[in-house]
Order: sequence, then C-alpha cells, then structure tokens
Amino acid sequence: MGEIKLTDVNKSFGSVHVLKDIDLHIKDGEFVVFVGPSGCGKSTLLRTIAGLEKVTGGEIQIDGKRVNEVTAADRGLAMVFQSYALYPHMSVRQNLAFGLENSNMPKAEVAERIGEAARMLEIEPYLERRPGQLSGGQRQRVAIGRAIVRRPTAFLLDEPLSNLDAELRVSTRAELAALHARIGSTMIYVTHDQVEAMTLAHRIVVMRAGKIEQIGTPLELYNTPANRFVAGFIGAPHMNFLSGEVVEKEVGNATLLIGGSHRLLVPMSDRKLSVGDKLTIGIRPQHITLANDPGSLRVKVRLVEALGSETVIHADLNGEKLLAVVPGQRQISPGDDAHFSVAGAPLHLFDGNGSRVKG
Amino acid sequence: MSTTTNTSRLGSLLMAPVHLLMRIIDVPLRAVQKATGISGMAAFFLAPNMLIFGIFVLLPLVINFVYSMTGGTAFFLAERNFVGAEQYSRLFTCGSYLDPMSCQEDAFWTAVGNTFWFVILQVALMIGVSLITALILNRDLAARSFWRAVFFFPVLLSPVVVGLIWKWILQRQGLLNFGLYQFGIEPYTWLTDRNWTFAATIGVSIWAHMGLYTLILLAGLQAIPKDLYEAAEMDGTKPERVFRRITLPLLAPNLLVVVVLALIKAVQIFDEVYVLTGGGPGTSTLYLTQYIYETGFASALRNPGLAAAASILMGLVLVVLTLVQLGIGQRGEKKGKR
Repeated sequence: MGEIKLTDVNKSFGSVHVLKDIDLHIKDGEFVVFVGPSGCGKSTLLRTIAGLEKVTGGEIQIDGKRVNEVTAADRGLAMVFQSYALYPHMSVRQNLAFGLENSNMPKAEVAERIGEAARMLEIEPYLERRPGQLSGGQRQRVAIGRAIVRRPTAFLLDEPLSNLDAELRVSTRAELAALHARIGSTMIYVTHDQVEAMTLAHRIVVMRAGKIEQIGTPLELYNTPANRFVAGFIGAPHMNFLSGEVVEKEVGNATLLIGGSHRLLVPMSDRKLSVGDKLTIGIRPQHITLANDPGSLRVKVRLVEALGSETVIHADLNGEKLLAVVPGQRQISPGDDAHFSVAGAPLHLFDGNGSRVKG
Repeated sequence: MSTTTNTSRLGSLLMAPVHLLMRIIDVPLRAVQKATGISGMAAFFLAPNMLIFGIFVLLPLVINFVYSMTGGTAFFLAERNFVGAEQYSRLFTCGSYLDPMSCQEDAFWTAVGNTFWFVILQVALMIGVSLITALILNRDLAARSFWRAVFFFPVLLSPVVVGLIWKWILQRQGLLNFGLYQFGIEPYTWLTDRNWTFAATIGVSIWAHMGLYTLILLAGLQAIPKDLYEAAEMDGTKPERVFRRITLPLLAPNLLVVVVLALIKAVQIFDEVYVLTGGGPGTSTLYLTQYIYETGFASALRNPGLAAAASILMGLVLVVLTLVQLGIGQRGEKKGKR
C-alpha cells in the first residue's frame, strides 16, 4: 500500500509561510509529479511528506494513519536526493546495505535484496566501486537502488535527473517510467521541468508560491488549464497571451477584439462577463497557422528559428509578442509581414484575475 | 565626455611616476635576464628570500650541528674544541636503558620521558576536546559565531600571556583557590603538587591551542553534505552509528592533519609551561625544549654542545613528523585531483 493524504497542510519557516493549505490525495501506485518554478515549495512539500520537515499545521496520513508525529525513518518511505547523497567512503554495495543494516536484517536477506536491485538497475558490475568512481548516470541508479532495497511504501524523488546531461536525462526518464510500471509503488517526483512532468506523471500537481494551482492528468492541464499560470507553465514553447476585450455578447457566443483591430467570435457560456470586460486570450504556439487571408492577424516577424522539422516564428502583434510553431520549413525572414490564423484553434480565456473563463 | 577625458588624463598623470620607475627597473632586469636566461630569473627573484632563509634558518642549523660536535663551556665557536660525537654518546650513556636515572644525563631522559607522556596525553585529549567542541559548534546553536570566537581567541594570545593568566588563576592565592574558598573548600597549592602541575600544563596548553584544531575540524564537519545525514535519517540510522559510519570516516583527513599538527606543536612545548611552572616542582614538568634551553644558556654549568646535540635529536623527531604531515598533504592533493 502507498496511499498518501494531505489535509490542510501548512508549513512556515519563522515568518515565511512556504506551504499554504495543501490538500492532496495520492492513490496507491500512482506516479505524481510536483512541478513549479524555483521556490514554489515543491521540495518542501516532498520533505514534509518524508518527515525531514515538520508541518506547522494540518495532517499527513499514510495508508490511513496520521504520521505527523512519526519520524522520517518510521514512515516507510524512501527518498532519492537531487545530489544522490551517496556515502562517498563506502562501496556501492555498502551504500545499498547501510539502511538495511539499521534494522538488523539477516545478512542473507540484505544480500538478496541488493542482488535483486542491482540486477534490476544493471549496476552489478559496479557493486565494489565507490561513488567517486562512477559516472553521473551510474550514481543515479545507485541512489534509486538504495531506495528500492528498502521496499518502501512510496518513493520520494527530489529532482533526481537535474544533475544529468540532456541526453542521459531523456533515457533515464524512460527507465524511471519503466521502473515504476515494474514495481508499481507510489512515486512522488519533484521537478521544475514540465517535460519531465508531462512524460512521467499520472497526475501533475502544479504549484506556485506555496499553493497548489491545479491537480490533473498531463493532458487535462494542457487542454484545460485552470488559470493563466498553469497555462503558461505547461506546454513548450509557452502559451501566447493576448489582451482582448468583449465587444459583443449573445447567448453562448461573444465577439472579442484582439490586437487592436481583429475581431474574433468565440463560444462563451460564462454569464458574468459583459460587453467592455477585459480578457486574456491564450493560444498555444502550435495552434497558430500561417495564412494568406487578410482577415487573419497581421504580424511583423521578429525572429525565425528553423529547426528543420518545424519553424518557430517570433512575431509582434501591435506591441504584443506572439509565437508560432508551424510544421516544415518556411521561406520567411525577420522584418517580413505575415498573417497568423487562429481559426479553429483551441482558445483559452482568462479573466482579470487570471482564472479560466468557461468557453 | 569631458569628464572621461579628465579622468583618463588624471589617471595617466598619476601613473607617470610608476611608468618611469618601471622603466628604470627594467634596465638592470633586462641585463640580468640576458645573462641568466628566463629560468635564471626565477632564481634571481627567489634570491632575497633564500638569503633570509639561509641566514636565519639554514646557517643556524649548520652552526647548531657544529656546536653539537664541540665541547667546553665557551660560547664562541672559535674557542671550543672538537669532540666528535662525544656529546651524543654522553646523552646515550646509561647504566641501564630501562632506568633513566642511571643515565649520565638523567635530566635529558627525564625531559624526554615527560615530553613523551605530555605529547601522548595532550594530543589525545586535545583531539577529543576539539572534536567535541567542533561537533557542538556545528549544531544549530544560538550565537554560534560568538562561541566560535570564544574558543578561538586563546590561539591569538602570546604563550607568555597564557602562562601568566593561568598562573594568576592557579597560584596559591589565585582565582581558583579564591573560588573554592567561597564554597568552603580549603585552598590547595596546585602548582607545587607534581601530578596537578603536570595536569595543569596539559590543560593550559589544550586551552591555548584547541581553537585552531576546533576550527579545522569544524571546517571539515561543515564540508560534509547535509544530504548524507538526511539520507541516514530516512534510513533510521541511530546517532551513534551516524557518527561512527558517516561523520568520523568523512572527517578522517582533517583529523589526521590535526593529529600531526598537534604532535609537532606538543613536542615543542615550552613558553607557557616555562612561565607557569618553570619546569617544576622538581623536574615534574621539565620538557625537552626547556632542558635544551637551560643546558645551553641558563644553567650555571652551561654546555652549549650538549644542548645542541639534544636539539638535533629533537629536530630529527620533528623531521619525521613533518614528513608524515607532508605525505598526508600530498595524498589529499592526489585525492582532490582524482
């Protein structure tokens, strides 16, 4: 079992309130990723679950039992640290055995668990080496191995891939996903990299300034972000945001004015909005197409990044930045005038507070 | 624009004498370089330091060795007669090597014995006390910087001042007896009791030097990543095991440095003890350096040759310890490069 429930969790360091009213229910076997910008409290949240930090309010339950007062060791969780935290003076085997020896486990069982983890992670040839003699990727595996041998209720991973180079990160990411599928334990993973979050998670928890902004599956967050922050954080390149104004409203529809002159008819069921209200319109760069239609958005091209399979166009719409990712290779240069079409594109509307407006 | 021009003009005006000086110096330096080549320049720049080192370190060392081969009480080398290794053999002439008192120079062997026990006990206690202090200072302590300074300040004191302070505390009418008297305890003559005096020299020298070793160990403790302790905490490791299996092995390089430095320093113990006890009572706190000093300069029957021979022997011990220290340093460097 590995069900973790957080109710109204708060954490302060002195006068600094770092976690605010966190409510979260992680199901057994789930892969949950905490994502957010630096300083949003995601690592602190992980550490409070681990028991390395005490909560100042609220309750943490593991498998239905309150663990607020339970020490880190007795929570049955294992953590993989960003720095790996391998003991440099011990061999890989000793590193793996260290935690097990604390519980006076019979030697035969220690050896069996180490053997099993080493086979699973393919680190058998390095068991007698010290961490200093291993590459970053190998150290990473040992750190995961140290967690696996403990057979924990849940794995807590604090930015485990951030010290690897880009190529290794991609392959290790895939291995982690495979590992989770194989052992099936609950995993909580902290990262600031939204690509890692999107590819690994069953559910993503987006955090900002100590608060949870949205919890959902990767595609839920991508397709229906709850607010402008989530919309901007999930998806690469980031979503475009244009300011607009409601100029006409009928039942179920509204006409918006964007870019100073362009009128856009959008479905809108939100009754609180009325003519004259200001809105932010979010459009993903991949949803913009190049058009010849004079009725589309007329933009000035500022920068063109030809990536071969696609072309990234940085443009300017009456002083607002607009980014388009169009498939294939295009004959377009900085300084050119171009037409961007958003016809048929999924549009995300946000009110003045940044909250999503029902379409 | 004009400000910039003015500034640069002022700059070049200020730099003019420097440029002039450089040009003047350049002339002889060029000549030297022409004569000696580039590699010769290194020797040229090292020469002043080597000269000072030669006059004040190397030459005395050689003279000292020559003295150890001469006899008599005369002070000037020219008036002394060559006796070969006689002084050394005098130091080693004993009725029984198991009984220092049977030796011709029993004071030397008493000093060697005292120094030996002093070094063993002082270094062992010093490491223990410094380590415990460093461990405490490494915790989240209120006013940590203040405590760190408190433990380090004695290092900055002159050894003579250290000796005087403790004499003032330990003498018969000193602070300690005054304090004890307030609790109804009879005053005691700490500095005339053989055992207490020996203990006092150890205690005082630890007090005076522990700050430096505490600082080295504290730096070592702070270099151990916090993550390792958190990983151990997640694993439910008991504090005693954390200390034995994580802290101690990772602190080992620093501990080794501290042990060797403390050994070298302890063998040379002199000033604070000389001020505090003068080597007494009797010869209970007579250490090697004091024996050398008194034999060579202070006693009525001064014997510079014998003192020189003893100092050469002591020097050999220090050379061995220093080689060990250098070895450790080089091993550390290699490890760092790996």
